[in-house]
Amino acid sequence: MTGWRTLFPNAWYISVREFRSRASSRSFVIGTVLLAILAFAATQAPVLIDKVAGGSQTRIEVVDLASGLPSDAPTVLDQSLNGTATSGSSLLGGYALSWLAGGQLSAAQQDLQGGKFDALLIVDRDPASSDLVFTLRTDMPADGRQAQTIGNAVYSLAIEDRLARAGTSTAAVLAPAKWSVLPVSLSGTATTNNINQELSSSLLSTGLVVLIFMAIITYGTWVAMSVAEEKGSRVMELMLNATTPLQMLAGKVIGNGAAGLTQYGAILGAVLVGLLVQGPIHRAVLGGSDSGPAVSGLTVPLVASFMVLFALGFLLYSLLYAALGSLVSRQEDVQSATSPLMMLVMVGYFMSIVAIQSVTDTWVVVLSYVPFFSPYLMLARVAGGHVQLWEFGLAVVFMLAAIAVALFLAARIYSAGVLLYGQRVGLRQVLKAARVSR
Amino acid sequence: MSLVIDSVSKNFGEVQALYDVSLEIKPGEVFGFLGANGAGKTTAMRIVLDILRPDSGTVAWNGRLNTEVSRDTWGYLPEERGLYAKMKVIDQLTFFGKLHGVKPKKAEQETRDWLERFRIPEYADKRAEQLSKGNQQKIQFIAAILHDPQVLLMDEPFTGLDPVNVALLKEAFLEMKDRGKTLIFSTHQMETVQELCQSIAILDRGRVVVGGTVRDVRRSSGRQMVRIAVDGDPEIAWLATIDGVRVSRRGQDYTEAEVASGHDPELVLQEALGRRCRILHFEITDPSLEEIFIEHVGQIDTSERTLAPKAVYA
Repeated sequence: MTGWRTLFPNAWYISVREFRSRASSRSFVIGTVLLAILAFAATQAPVLIDKVAGGSQTRIEVVDLASGLPSDAPTVLDQSLNGTATSGSSLLGGYALSWLAGGQLSAAQQDLQGGKFDALLIVDRDPASSDLVFTLRTDMPADGRQAQTIGNAVYSLAIEDRLARAGTSTAAVLAPAKWSVLPVSLSGTATTNNINQELSSSLLSTGLVVLIFMAIITYGTWVAMSVAEEKGSRVMELMLNATTPLQMLAGKVIGNGAAGLTQYGAILGAVLVGLLVQGPIHRAVLGGSDSGPAVSGLTVPLVASFMVLFALGFLLYSLLYAALGSLVSRQEDVQSATSPLMMLVMVGYFMSIVAIQSVTDTWVVVLSYVPFFSPYLMLARVAGGHVQLWEFGLAVVFMLAAIAVALFLAARIYSAGVLLYGQRVGLRQVLKAARVSR
Repeated sequence: MSLVIDSVSKNFGEVQALYDVSLEIKPGEVFGFLGANGAGKTTAMRIVLDILRPDSGTVAWNGRLNTEVSRDTWGYLPEERGLYAKMKVIDQLTFFGKLHGVKPKKAEQETRDWLERFRIPEYADKRAEQLSKGNQQKIQFIAAILHDPQVLLMDEPFTGLDPVNVALLKEAFLEMKDRGKTLIFSTHQMETVQELCQSIAILDRGRVVVGGTVRDVRRSSGRQMVRIAVDGDPEIAWLATIDGVRVSRRGQDYTEAEVASGHDPELVLQEALGRRCRILHFEITDPSLEEIFIEHVGQIDTSERTLAPKAVYA
C-alpha cells in the first residue's frame, strides 16, 4: 500500500475525462434524450387515454321528472359512470351526460331518434314509495356492459336519494373512521398513519427503491465497462505508470457516477415537468378541469435519506463493479463477470419489495443494517415512517465502513486484475496476485 | 547515482519470471534488455516502474527505493500499444501530461512541438482511432516523455514500424540521450542494440545470462571472428584445416570463421600468406551480439509476442 500517492488531483482529472468521454458518446446522448422523452410521454399517458377514450363517449341525455332530487345528483351519476378524479379515468370510453328539465321530454325523445344521443334516461319518483324510478331508452343491449354500468350508476343515485331523504349523505356515511395504532408501552406516542397513507407510502417507497435499483445496475455496469474498455485497449499500461490504482478507481467511480446522475437527473426532470404540465395539457387538449395526480408523501426527510442512501449505495456497488470489471480482458465478458454482483442487487431489490408490506418485521430491521441491502430496506423503513434517526445513522456508518473496505479490496483486485490478461481470470489467481501487488 | 536492480525475483504461480536478477544501469546510459519471448524483460521493466512488486529484492534509483521515488521519474512506453480510441490526440496527451503534473498549456505546446518533429502536426485534432499504428506509436512515445522523465523505459519500441518511422524514433531516442536521460529498452533487433546501446543484459528464462558493456559482452566468449576473402577461391576450403577455426558463414563477399578461445586469429592470415593467396579482405572482429545471444539462449524467436503475462502463464 505504500507508493500510493494522494488521491487528488489525479482522481479528479480521471473523473473529468471519464465524464466527458461518457457524456459525449453518441449512445449516451441518444439514450438520455430518448429516455427523457419516454419518461415525459409516460406522464402524459392519462391525457392521451382520456383523449382516445373521449372519441368513443356514450352520450346520454337525462330528463328529470322527479321532484326533490339531491343537489349532487349530477355529480353522483357522473362519478359512478366515469370514476372519481382520484381513481383515474376509465380506459374504455366515458359517458357524457346532459341534464334536461322535465318539460323537455319530447324534445329529448326527438334528439334520441335523430341519433344525437345514444340513450335517454328518465328519472321519476314513485308516488307510493317515494323511491326513484329510472327508465332507459336505448338500442344498446339491455344486458350489455354499458347498460349494466348505467344500471349500477342509477343504483348509486337511488341510494344517495334515500340517504338524503333520511337526512344524511354517502360522504358522511363513508367518512374514514378515526383510529390510531399505539405501542405496547403506554408512554409511547401514537403513529397516526391511516390506511390511505400507508398505501401511498408503500407505492412511493416501491418507486424510490426501483430508482435506486435501476441506477446501481445501469451505472454500475458502466463503471465495469469503462474499466474493461481501458484494459482491452491497453491504455491501462500507460495509465498504470501515470497514476495509482486507487486514483484510477476513484476517478472511474466518480466520473461514471456523475454521468449516470446526469442522465438520471434528465429523466427525473422530464418526469417532474411532465407531472407539472399534465394538468394544463389535459385542460388544453380536452377542456374542463382535471388536476394531475399530486406527488404526495414526499417529505423532506424521505427525500434526504433517499439521496444519502442512493449515493452510498452507488459508491459501494460501483467499487465492486470496477473490481470485477478489471478481471476481464474484453468488454463482451463484463456481463458474465459482473453477474454475481447483479444477483446481489436483485436479491436486495426483491427483498425490499416484500419488506415494503412489513417494514416492522425483525428480518427487515436486521437486514436493513447490512450495507448491501441498506439502500433498499432502510429506504423502505424510512418511507414506512418507522425509523429513528439513530437507526438511520447506524446504517449510514455501516455503509461508510463497507465502502472503505470495498475501496481497499477493490483497489487490490484492480491493481492485480488490470495486469492479468487471459481468457478468464479465476478468483484464486486474483487473490494470489492481489497479495503481492502494490 | 544509478539504477540498481538488486537480486530481484518474481514468480507468477508456478512460473519463475525473474530469478535473482541484479543489474546496474548508469545514468545517461542507453541500456538494452535482450531475451527471447517470456524471458522476463517486460516483468523486469514493470518491477522497475513499481507496477509489479517483486517477491524479493529491491530496485533503487540514485540510492532511493523505487517505491519512494516520484512516479514522474519514469517514462514508460509499454509493449502493448493503447490509446483512448475516441479521444483527440491533443486531448489525450494533455491528459497524460496533467496526470504527471505538467501544466496543460505546457503539455499542449510540447505536444505540438513533438508532432511537428515527427512530421504529423495535422494529427493533433484527430481521434486516435483514425491514426495508423506507426503514428499511434509516435503519440505514445510523446505520452511517455511529455513530463520530462529522468529514466525512459521502452518495451519493444521498434516493432511494427516501417524503416522511416524507426529512423524518426531513433532520432528522438538519441535526443533524449543528449538531454542526459537514461534510456532502457527491450528488443529482438540485435542491429539496433549494437547501434544504440552502451550496455546490455541478455535474459533467459528469468536469469541474466550475460551483462555489461556491449564491448565486454561481445568479448565475453573469448572467441574472435575472422572475415576473409581471397581472389579466385570463394570456398577457401583450407580454412577448416587450421586448428581451432570453424567456418561459420560462407558468403559471396567474404567467408566468416570463428577462432576458438586461446587461438590466435593471426594464424589465419599467416596461412593465407603461406598459401600465396591474393587477399581481398581480412578482418578480425568480436562475435556479433546475435552470435553471443544464440550461444547463450539458442535460436532467436522473432515471432510476434502476445503479452508478457500471457507468455509467462503459458
